[in-house]
Amino acid sequence: MNAKRIRLLIWKEFLQLRRDPLLLRLLFLMPVLQLVMMGYVVGADVKNLSTAVVDLDHSVVSRRLAASFASSGYFVITARPAEESALRPLLDRGDVKVALVIPEGTSRRLSAGGSVPVGIVVDGSDSRIASVGGGYASQLIAAFNAKLIAEQGLTVSGPGIDARVRVEFNPSLRAVNSMIPGLIATILVLSMSVIMSQAVVRERERGTLEQMFVTPISRGDYLVGKLTPYVLIGIVQMSIVAFIGRVWFQVPFNGQLWVVVLGLFLFMLTTVALGLLISLVSHTRQQAQQTVMFIMIPFMVLSGFIFPVASMPPAIVPITYLIPLRYAVDFLRGTFVKGAGVRELAVPLLAMAGFAAALLGFAVASFHKRLSD
Amino acid sequence: MPELTSASLPASRTLAPNPTAAISVRGLTKRFGSFTAVDAIDFDVARGEIFGFLGPNGSGKTTTIRMLTGAIAPQAGSVLILGDDVVSQPELVKRRIGYMSQKFSLFEDMTVDENLRFYAGVYDLPAEKFAAQRAYVLRMADLVGRENELTANLSVGWKQRLALGTATIHEPELLFLDEPTSGVDPVARRHFWDLLYELAGRGVTLFVTTHYMEEAAQCGRLAFMYAGRLIAEGSPREIRERYLRECGPLDTAGSAAKTPSIEDVFVHLVSREREEASR
Repeated sequence: MNAKRIRLLIWKEFLQLRRDPLLLRLLFLMPVLQLVMMGYVVGADVKNLSTAVVDLDHSVVSRRLAASFASSGYFVITARPAEESALRPLLDRGDVKVALVIPEGTSRRLSAGGSVPVGIVVDGSDSRIASVGGGYASQLIAAFNAKLIAEQGLTVSGPGIDARVRVEFNPSLRAVNSMIPGLIATILVLSMSVIMSQAVVRERERGTLEQMFVTPISRGDYLVGKLTPYVLIGIVQMSIVAFIGRVWFQVPFNGQLWVVVLGLFLFMLTTVALGLLISLVSHTRQQAQQTVMFIMIPFMVLSGFIFPVASMPPAIVPITYLIPLRYAVDFLRGTFVKGAGVRELAVPLLAMAGFAAALLGFAVASFHKRLSD
Repeated sequence: MPELTSASLPASRTLAPNPTAAISVRGLTKRFGSFTAVDAIDFDVARGEIFGFLGPNGSGKTTTIRMLTGAIAPQAGSVLILGDDVVSQPELVKRRIGYMSQKFSLFEDMTVDENLRFYAGVYDLPAEKFAAQRAYVLRMADLVGRENELTANLSVGWKQRLALGTATIHEPELLFLDEPTSGVDPVARRHFWDLLYELAGRGVTLFVTTHYMEEAAQCGRLAFMYAGRLIAEGSPREIRERYLRECGPLDTAGSAAKTPSIEDVFVHLVSREREEASR
């Protein structure tokens, strides 16, 4: 390999990129667009859930509990039916998503030091509302409990309303906090594999690839010269997402920077190798594009980026282990949100290293083979 | 009916490779799966020669060129280019040869000047050498004043001359041209051949494939390829004379016998091979 020739190839690549203003704009608009979509739409917090309160107790305590729901910002009390049977039609029509049922005698039993089961009914037709709404409700009740106990000066272990859910790492349950780290990996795989796959096949279509290989440019020169510009672009894209995520969406960063850089580097090699492979199996740019589309759908759906892996059917779960993006999403969430270190993240790190080595080795080998046939 | 036989080919070709030749090929073979694209061919191209390499589409010409330039590796046989083995010394060989393909493989989204600069850099040309070569190519390709134009905007004749210019920017001793004039109008083609003669006059060996028989007639020596094998070889005159000797004067339906053209010989050879193959 020859450093001067590699520099020349990088210069050439950037020159050509500059002449393709559409691609260049896409490269930098894409992360911003995705951020807006993922950050505001997909990652939007579940808020202002229309809620029905069935207060069968009519006591101070029950009214205070209902008020704490109303003032939380997550629930808007839109109906106060007199009895539980009136709930069903409300839920059926979609008028309310959540219902709180405070049973008769709540106040009395609490004062007596007993515990009271409070009913929370959640519309399960939207799984996100069901889980998030349920979670918020449990948190509110737990907080309410704590306040009650403090007020009454009770230290008894038993009494109170027993709903306790502790949400770790992301106590405010802000979806953006786990969306943005996943988005960094997703944008990387999208832009790197799409652009890489086009980059080589375009040159093959135009005949410039053939021309270059009758000059002293070696295959190694060519590969390094081709990959470097896109790796640099990938770094810029990731930085944009990380910066906007941190500053605009206020995503907390609890991890160590070097761990993130290490993981992203491994994942970047994977995506670049994937793009290169697609480029090598495709004869035309359209084919490359179709192949990328074909691969991206399982990537998006099975990586756990949007749909949690844990809630997938058991038959599907083993397939997710074959999706490199899954490990990147796991890794980034782990380090961003949980602040996990190298040891805790060993599995996704090793998996990404394995994918990078295998795909890159395979890509380089087929690049050699392809050119010598 | 008398026929051109392979015995009429020079016997010397079975000897050891000739290191003083520009190109010396022995037993060169390339198979793609079960298909043999190039089947144990031998030939020599002398230095300074204009060597025409003819054959119908799919006969193995481009595959042969790609092996000669080191773009792909042969399965068997040896190739000496300017005395060096192209398989074991590709870098050495690649510095001394040039290649221009049927597609004008310039970077269309780069300017004339950027293309020149790129290839000059690839061959590591020193600055003053580059300045001189650049001036020469721009004059030769008639592109003075259009240095900053995108290559995509040039018309075919200009692109083709620029492609020749970039392929020769490092002053190669041997230049491969794979159907360099396909799709070019007759005036531009004539102009292009004048440039090739100019190169040959400076001692550059030219290896040209073409489908234009009047171009073939301008070559110093010719080789006909068919189905991966060489079926005839010699100067245009030798090829015509051998044909006359073996097939008799050309019988053109009632009119007087005329000297066969290269095209006549080519068509005759190819149809004979096809007949043999179908038998």
